[in-house]
Amino acid sequence: MSEVNEMGCAEFADAAAELALGVLTGRERARALAHLDQCEACRENVRQLTVTGEELVGLLPAIEPPAGFETRVMERLGLGTPAPIPAPIPAPGLARQLSPARRSGRKLADWIGGGWTGRGGVSHPRRILAAAAVAVAVIAGGLGGWGLHGTTSSPTASALSSATLLTASHQTAGKIYLYNAGSRWLYMSVNIPSGSGAADNGTVLCQVEGPDGHITTVGSFRLTGGYGYWGSPDPVTNGPLTGARLITTTGTVLATATFPA
Amino acid sequence: MGTVSDELPDETLLAGLGAGDADLALAFVRRFQRIVFGVAITVIGNPAAAEDVAQQTFEQAWRHAQVYDSRRGSVRTWLTTIAHNLAVDVLRARTSAPVDPDDLPALLTAVTDTPERVAVANDRASGLRRQLGRLPAPQARAVAMAGIYGMTARQIADTEGVPLGTAKTRIRDGMQKLRAAYLPENVDDE
Repeated sequence: MSEVNEMGCAEFADAAAELALGVLTGRERARALAHLDQCEACRENVRQLTVTGEELVGLLPAIEPPAGFETRVMERLGLGTPAPIPAPIPAPGLARQLSPARRSGRKLADWIGGGWTGRGGVSHPRRILAAAAVAVAVIAGGLGGWGLHGTTSSPTASALSSATLLTASHQTAGKIYLYNAGSRWLYMSVNIPSGSGAADNGTVLCQVEGPDGHITTVGSFRLTGGYGYWGSPDPVTNGPLTGARLITTTGTVLATATFPA
Repeated sequence: MGTVSDELPDETLLAGLGAGDADLALAFVRRFQRIVFGVAITVIGNPAAAEDVAQQTFEQAWRHAQVYDSRRGSVRTWLTTIAHNLAVDVLRARTSAPVDPDDLPALLTAVTDTPERVAVANDRASGLRRQLGRLPAPQARAVAMAGIYGMTARQIADTEGVPLGTAKTRIRDGMQKLRAAYLPENVDDE
């Protein structure tokens, strides 16, 4: 099965940095990719070099854009005044096809698959998230979630209230935000202390409590290593919310939060 | 001084952007516009082209917010990667000489010495920055030309007037040292 031009690990190591930076071309690139397809160790090598290369770009100095930049961006997105336009939502199945990084064809992170780790992620696995999976889960669950509803928010009078999610033992387990900007939005960010066990990895439900004590399930999402986040237009539109809670799919309450009156 | 949106996590603002929430989208743009434009103008050099790339970057983020996967990196890294890819595409289409070699010392100084960024950088980024400053100049230049300007080893060899093999070795050795500084727990291989 071996071919004359097959690349070995030693030769690949010489080209790995160029591949990771997206500057390897032509036949050498093709041979390197063929080698990567069958060598786990070299995939990991390139993944690390890719992450390093991305962080190198992140060192570039921040520079103030020309005046009016943000207005022009908002207009380009159709989100400028007076009438915000809901964003088109790509279908989950198109994710791979539409990914900007993938489309450019230079960065290998997508190709390597599943191996990216964010800043700090290598030494802090609890920070590893599954944001795309969260969004898909919310949509698939039919419980609301971003992307399902257009928004009529207006760029006036923003208001944000937040409450800390606490476990039964009063440990901080995350935060929930209630955002009022014409429409109301809920965002929940969860980082359950390690060892709490119940739902370090699994689906959880977000519930909110209205002023009459009525509890409504407003969304579900998945925790990975105890960490996850979720957001949705608020389906509870009458009156203020008094609290929220995070529960497992079997009804175990993991954490609760009380909004300030 | 800040607004309430300033308290929201990057992922939340990105979700709001993707959902078309004007307030959150504006907060997202305000939070990241300097770093996005910084990447674009540094790579391209032309302000008008850089602004277009920066605008495209936010448009890409808006269109693809739902496929952002935080397992692959932070929102900031995702965004700067998009900006960088777009900027390098523009650079490659525009010219066969992506960078003036005389510009490299200023770039490397900016990347390694900016006090403001050093102050806010996390430990890993600081380590990467320090290591970049310690690289032998030819390696640092090769890494910058490949990693920032997207130049191939052949282009670097031609620009620096060295054999192709030398350019490739400089990229390899420089990147391995940077990786060792950025991911020190992984320096066991090779």
